[in-house]
Amino acid sequence: MKRPLLWLLWGWMATVIVAAFHWAPLAEGFLGQSSRILFFHVPMAWVSFVAFMVAGVRSLAYLAGRRTERRDQAAAAAIEIGLLFALLATVTGAIWARIMWNSWWNWDPRQASIVVALLFYAAYLALRAAVADREARGRLCAAYATLGLVVAPFFYFVLPRLGFTLHPEAVINAQGKVEVEPRMLVVLLASSAGFTALFFWMHQLRTRLALREARLLEGSD
Amino acid sequence: MPVARLAFEGLSRRFDRLVVLDRVSGKVESGGLFAVRGPNGSGKSTLLRCLAGLLAPDRGRVVAVEDGRALANDERRRRVGLLAPDIAFYDELSVSENLELVARLRGLPPASGRAVAERLGLPAARPWRALSSGMRQRLRWAFAVLHRPRLLLLDEPFQNLDDDGERIARALLDEHLENGGLAVAASPVSLPLPRISGELRLDR
Amino acid sequence: MSSGWTAEAAAVFAKDWRAERRARHAVATLVLFAITTLVIASLALGPIGATPGERSDVASALLWILLLFAAAAGLPRVFVHEEESHTATVLRLAARPSAVFAGKLAWVASLLALLEAVATPLALALFDLPVASPGRLVLALGAGGAGLAAATTLLAAIVAQGRGATTLFAALAFPLLVPLAVLAVAATRAALGGGDAGGVLVQLFLYDSTIMVAGFLLFPVIWAP
Repeated sequence: MKRPLLWLLWGWMATVIVAAFHWAPLAEGFLGQSSRILFFHVPMAWVSFVAFMVAGVRSLAYLAGRRTERRDQAAAAAIEIGLLFALLATVTGAIWARIMWNSWWNWDPRQASIVVALLFYAAYLALRAAVADREARGRLCAAYATLGLVVAPFFYFVLPRLGFTLHPEAVINAQGKVEVEPRMLVVLLASSAGFTALFFWMHQLRTRLALREARLLEGSD
Repeated sequence: MPVARLAFEGLSRRFDRLVVLDRVSGKVESGGLFAVRGPNGSGKSTLLRCLAGLLAPDRGRVVAVEDGRALANDERRRRVGLLAPDIAFYDELSVSENLELVARLRGLPPASGRAVAERLGLPAARPWRALSSGMRQRLRWAFAVLHRPRLLLLDEPFQNLDDDGERIARALLDEHLENGGLAVAASPVSLPLPRISGELRLDR
Repeated sequence: MSSGWTAEAAAVFAKDWRAERRARHAVATLVLFAITTLVIASLALGPIGATPGERSDVASALLWILLLFAAAAGLPRVFVHEEESHTATVLRLAARPSAVFAGKLAWVASLLALLEAVATPLALALFDLPVASPGRLVLALGAGGAGLAAATTLLAAIVAQGRGATTLFAALAFPLLVPLAVLAVAATRAALGGGDAGGVLVQLFLYDSTIMVAGFLLFPVIWAP
């Protein structure tokens, strides 16, 4: 990413943080300041989903088109970063659950489904480690991540709705209506956009690093 | 115009950091035999697996043409006849059951393999697990030629065969070449081979 | 999908059954595992003391835990054995990938159906359970078994090409099978207790068709370069 763009991203994220704590109002029905975690928790969960979809799309391109090292590494990098964000979403969720429900963890459908998503993509890394040959690894991992393209939406959007949940309504609820105070919505959208840009920046760095590592390991190419 | 043609250009393949094939090329047409020579570990089997479509090369390409039509990778894998030391059959099934299975998978009448199996002197009722290494090699020959392929890929074709077995195998190879087929044969020693039209020497 | 394709798939399926009849690896292991688990569980829990509702809850969960673990223990073999004994090369050279997948899927599904046919009546007898809706029970077992077969066949093909296939299989299978298990348990419980399970069954069928379509599309690239 070009330097001015990077500065813009930093400025944007700083503004989002300040706005989240000082400009956005508190949501009703939440204990203390706890609703403010929404501005970070929701974008993190969103970015993890975006990351897994990016991995799926790059993997599909790898399988259907030219099988380049770059596509393979880009998919792996997206999953690594996606796992990081999914973990952060899980931890922020647990912190909030401790405040609101007085317990870190209680297998709410949403907690259960993010754990399933985490395990699904952690297994991708296990698969990567278990296949030595580069060609076979690329092919098998790409097939698995492509499978993720169809099952991850299920983990994120269907599984959480099976069964009774205490989790607050998703921002866009089942009726497709947005029921959030306008200022909260602005901060939430700005934060989501910022985190998404942050992801693409991290992803680009990680992919470049992985490609260089692979080249170094192989010797000059 | 030849009925069949096989060409490979600039094939490279490595396993981890070990370079097994480094930009090798060659071509062969109907009636010809391409000999691949080299010591153990020089990449002969890897080359044949790439030609068969069982292994993707890191770089380079393979072009197989039958009746003026280029074969796609998946198609080539099913159309070639490959004989390789690491091909094995089902332990629990007899020679004839294994060949019947292959015929069915290839969409041929179940008894297609019977004639060649008899010619090779294979014990029809004996299971794979109870075959001697020479008989196993004979069954590999039957597997490779059962569907009358145009492209025959032979990795160590006469390994473990007794005099009788080698004579039959050589006759099968001759007939294949006479009928307009082509062959690629890999062997470590300077084994005499018929109708050599091209040769590739590999080093470790 | 020509009749030739069907014959190829049938040949793979028939080959596996024929080899199984002579060696009896899979069926004996799976059935013994099922019987042992059920007997231990029913001995430990006992029919007395729990209400029929509680017992049917426990039995439906136990039945699917058993099927899942039996699948994880016995089914990776369907491809691992082919790779280890180098017979996979014969299949790769002679058959179309989709026919191999179909044949293997049918073989795994038939094994699971057999296992269900042994384990379900046994579970019902040991836990002394009435069945409110036998038709629904068959549907739940069928839909759950089909999903389990599709997922395990696909994943077995993947792990067979890696190191430490059994451990890797557990890692890959768990996240994919948890949602299936949740749905299958709910459908089974409803069939036993007489609750409404229409919605769950529809979701099960959706899961099955998703994994099967994904399996047929992805298997060719998993199977060969």
